[in-house]
Amino acid sequence: MTAPLPDELPLRAASAASDQPWHRLHPLSPLVRAGRQLMSLVVLLAGLLVANHHRVGRDLVTDLVIIAIALAGGFVSWLVTRWQITDGVLRVDTGLIRRDSRRFPLSQIQAVDVVQTGLARVLGLAELRVRMAGGDAAHGGRLACLRRSDAEQLRRDLLALSVAGTAVAAVAAIPARAVGRAGPAVVVPERLLFRVNAARLPVAILLSRTGAVAIAVAAAAGLTIAVSGRTSTIAPFLPFVLGAMVNLWRQLNGQYGTTVAAAPDGLRLRSGLIQTTAETIRPGRIQAVRLAEPLIWRALGWCRLEVDVAGARQRREDQGEGQRLRAVIPVGSRAEAGQLLGELIGSQPLLPRLAPPLAARWKAPLAYHFLGWNRDDRYVVASRGRVCRQTTWVPLDKVQSIRWVQGPLQRRLGLATVHLDVAGKRVSAKIQDRSDAEAREILAGLPDLARAARSAAA
Amino acid sequence: MSDPGDHPVPLSTEPADAGPDDATIAWRLPSPLLLRVRRIEVAVVTVPLAIAGGVAGAVVSTGLAAGIAVAVVVAGALGERFLARRVAAWGYAERQDDLMVRRGVLIRHQSVIPYGRMQFIDVTAGPLERSQGLATLRMHTAAAASDARIPGLEQGVAAALRDQLTELGEAQAAGL
Repeated sequence: MTAPLPDELPLRAASAASDQPWHRLHPLSPLVRAGRQLMSLVVLLAGLLVANHHRVGRDLVTDLVIIAIALAGGFVSWLVTRWQITDGVLRVDTGLIRRDSRRFPLSQIQAVDVVQTGLARVLGLAELRVRMAGGDAAHGGRLACLRRSDAEQLRRDLLALSVAGTAVAAVAAIPARAVGRAGPAVVVPERLLFRVNAARLPVAILLSRTGAVAIAVAAAAGLTIAVSGRTSTIAPFLPFVLGAMVNLWRQLNGQYGTTVAAAPDGLRLRSGLIQTTAETIRPGRIQAVRLAEPLIWRALGWCRLEVDVAGARQRREDQGEGQRLRAVIPVGSRAEAGQLLGELIGSQPLLPRLAPPLAARWKAPLAYHFLGWNRDDRYVVASRGRVCRQTTWVPLDKVQSIRWVQGPLQRRLGLATVHLDVAGKRVSAKIQDRSDAEAREILAGLPDLARAARSAAA
Repeated sequence: MSDPGDHPVPLSTEPADAGPDDATIAWRLPSPLLLRVRRIEVAVVTVPLAIAGGVAGAVVSTGLAAGIAVAVVVAGALGERFLARRVAAWGYAERQDDLMVRRGVLIRHQSVIPYGRMQFIDVTAGPLERSQGLATLRMHTAAAASDARIPGLEQGVAAALRDQLTELGEAQAAGL
């Protein structure tokens, strides 16, 4: 995973070992990168101006100074940031005082994202994110920002190179980076697999856990106003109301207009209302697929389909509730989910048909109905969950480790649980509450099956 | 401690009941010195706590002081019994293509980690472990949930095992 240690200092190596040209980011990128903070400052400023237009003087100056410093910092950062692709490695050098030189071996790229914030969309810019396995988002490669067409061209190049492997010949075969003077874009035929229903999404979000929290908070605030008869009593609720609204907005913004398409270089996921994201997941990099059916959605026949990639952990703010995975279907009907699932795992999806032993009724009286697992020679599927039914498909060739776990109650009842861990955000298929004998058999048999699947995939 | 009839077994032999596949797997156990490390750890917590409790109790009466001290020592002794069983529960087995690790008394775990899946292997030794010549081996795969460790290996054994696992891992390495 680590780049080989250079013999000399990175800086000198960087200047010496490059026949490929270095590139800069787009000159407007500091503006976009500062965009979020800038936006809130501007809003604050406007608010101040409106609220007390007599006494803004000093505050205005302070704010303008802050903005100027932020922009100057961004400009310096832009000035010292450069990137290049050479020998199958993407290199990003940055930093004025503390130089920071990163290499991303293209053969190990898990996914490439093109992200556009609202401001970036207005300016026609886009940020390119390269996701590697492990580490957190800060360690992923980020090129913020490029011109949109360049970002897309670069994504195509990166994916092509990453498929071609690290061979230098392959690198040479790709014409000199067209970035900066983007050549005629190659039109890649894509096959649309799924498009989220725009009317259903807001309703679904309101009916999800985030929505329930938001509704509860709003109801509490409303009740307080109704009881006290004064709007000012809402003050203590404001942070919660705001938080709930932000969460709702984040989900809507993140999942609005989700489309899934099959492209030659991988699965293309696009979504976003203001900030748009276009992710490309390379074929064979999906570590797990999960179908979630929360209680209320179940009644409406809706479900959510998520995939897990061994990419960087999400930024903390994006994490939402627990370990949220990338939703390929934020909300959809069972038929849509079944169809996409078939595409994702490349066959008729396996159903968790094997029911648990009767003793599991005592251990999991509510979930008993939903417990089950099954396997074939490529996949293991396991389902569980009381309120939210979760069915997880794990490719056998992606299994990292197999764990057999037995708690005291399970021991009494003669049960055991087997986890199949995959690289990703702590997702594991949990074959829950099987009889002792069956769990023993699974633990004894699955390692061999997984090995067979691995060698078949290799 | 669900089953009181199960006496702590000597470390050199197989615990009676340790999960699936007991018969066919040649379990190797951590060093007996691990129990000593655990005992020292218990003592390091218990003795000062007993003294502090005793001193605090002495403000009220000597009887209370004695009571607190005895209670803490008894709790420490019980903890020691439990730790002894936990120490006895650790085991690992090198199989042809994977490493098995088992642990736990109340909640029992048994992990199978293919050699080819190991991303890196750590050998760590705290001051106490070091004083007894022991080390802990940690195996990391790409999955966050599956990191397994084996405590209480003699340092030589740990280093040898690390090298061997690394070698096997390289030989069988599989992509993500």
